[in-house]
Amino acid sequence: MTASPQVQPQSPAKPAKPPRHQDPRNPHKRLRALLDEDSMEPISADDDSGMLAAVGTIDGAHVVAFCSDATVMGGAMGEVGCRVVVQAYERALADDAPIVGLWHSGGARLAEGVLSLDAVGRIFHAMTTTSGKVPQISVVLGPAAGGAAYGPALTDVVILGPEGRIFVTGPDVVRSVTGEDVDMLRLGGPEPHGRRSGVVHMLAESEADAIGRAREVAGLLGAQGEMDASGIADVDLGEALPDSPRRAYDVHPLVEQILDADTMLELHPRWAPNIVTALGRFGGRTVGVIANNPLRLGGCLDSLSAEKASRFVRMCDAFGVPLLVVVDVPGYLPGVGQEWDGVVRRGAKLLHAFSEAVVPRVTLVTRKAYGGAYIAMNARCLGATRVFAWPGAVVAVMGATAAIRILHRRKLAEVAPEIRPQVEAELAVEHEVIAGGVDKAVEIGVVDEVVQPSATRSALAAAIAHAFTGLADTRGHHGNIPL
Amino acid sequence: MAGEIVAEMVANVWKVVASPGDEVAAGDMIVILESMKMEIPVLAEQSGTLAELRVSEGDVVQEGDVLAVLA
Repeated sequence: MTASPQVQPQSPAKPAKPPRHQDPRNPHKRLRALLDEDSMEPISADDDSGMLAAVGTIDGAHVVAFCSDATVMGGAMGEVGCRVVVQAYERALADDAPIVGLWHSGGARLAEGVLSLDAVGRIFHAMTTTSGKVPQISVVLGPAAGGAAYGPALTDVVILGPEGRIFVTGPDVVRSVTGEDVDMLRLGGPEPHGRRSGVVHMLAESEADAIGRAREVAGLLGAQGEMDASGIADVDLGEALPDSPRRAYDVHPLVEQILDADTMLELHPRWAPNIVTALGRFGGRTVGVIANNPLRLGGCLDSLSAEKASRFVRMCDAFGVPLLVVVDVPGYLPGVGQEWDGVVRRGAKLLHAFSEAVVPRVTLVTRKAYGGAYIAMNARCLGATRVFAWPGAVVAVMGATAAIRILHRRKLAEVAPEIRPQVEAELAVEHEVIAGGVDKAVEIGVVDEVVQPSATRSALAAAIAHAFTGLADTRGHHGNIPL
Repeated sequence: MAGEIVAEMVANVWKVVASPGDEVAAGDMIVILESMKMEIPVLAEQSGTLAELRVSEGDVVQEGDVLAVLA
């Protein structure tokens, strides 16, 4: 990592800076907006360190927060400012409270030389040793360059405001080193980080929206609540699916219907959209949902979606959030691009993440689960708490027609071409019964129970509630490395 | 920026649903691709007029190929 570029040069053409108490970048204002009214109590000195830390509440729950002071040297971080952040982390650990960072900083203070790099590195160390113990949420409200980029990147959830820009080296350095002409927006704005890099989990429409989302995430991870299974009403979830089993569909309405109304908060909605990862409430309790989305790439797993899901599974597991896994997956996406992209290495992360997870994790196969992707979507063999399937679901190595073309290659080669489709169809029906049908899956124990779509919500709730009975607090049993 | 609608994966064009000149809204179906033995609708991300339709039924498209352009 290089020292930070000067992302906020004081241009002589700009109007004079407003007095600090009126400056919208004033960290007092920003922290007050984050915390419940009148709950903010500073825990660091109000000086020119470039950082301010405070404790307060979010919806009544205790949190620790810190904020770059962009009114001083563009929020650049020196030894003293970094110590403020490290002390905020110590406080969060001591209080067992979520910690929220509001970022607007050009990175390490050049004038302090390597001392500032050392100090920024201590923040990274504090974040890493805290990882998985208390939820860490970052909101990037302005430029976050160099060290200020890696800070948020080490945390659990990163929210980007419309003026937020995240990059290791700014446009000036890029231009001088590579000659590439690029502005901050294209280099590290909402579009690249929302869709391409996966650096941010959520884009916000305004600074207030960004702060509102941070409050929501802090509530979901920090105040998870108790599940009230009796409060879960059944609805016919099957209506969210198309009639034809071959037709792809958007899985979002199904996930929304499974969760309590209006509680779905999706992470990484535009990056690797073939898998949906969302936090929400289920019977009032926080849960995490992982769902294949057939509308995108047919719902295939690929290297990016496997990595996205793995990180989400590990985050939920670290914080004791139970998982609902909604499966409709045709397989891993085939191709040279995927193999060279490391679909084997990245896909292995998902196998690892589910296998090590100790939170209740319940699987629902709605239509199909094929091949290696079947295993990766929290199958029985990886230690799923319970596996449900809807009537008619297919659990198999591959689709029946593809399978019989391999299994009966010689026989099919011998039949006349004009009757081959008919023979294939007959063999496929036969194969489905012996190898892929849901009854077979129940018989061999890879599916625990066939459940009607109209009874699914209560079945999922009962399975989670039962798994929680007697389960010790498992929070913090591993960190949440940003996979 | 003109709205290019691209194929996300290798696929056959199974059905062309919209026609050039059509007014489409975000979420409207433009074509249906077939891949991984599934029919995968390709939807408009924004509203506009369908200025170009670059594929026909039966075509094989590669990842990144432009299927249609919205103006």
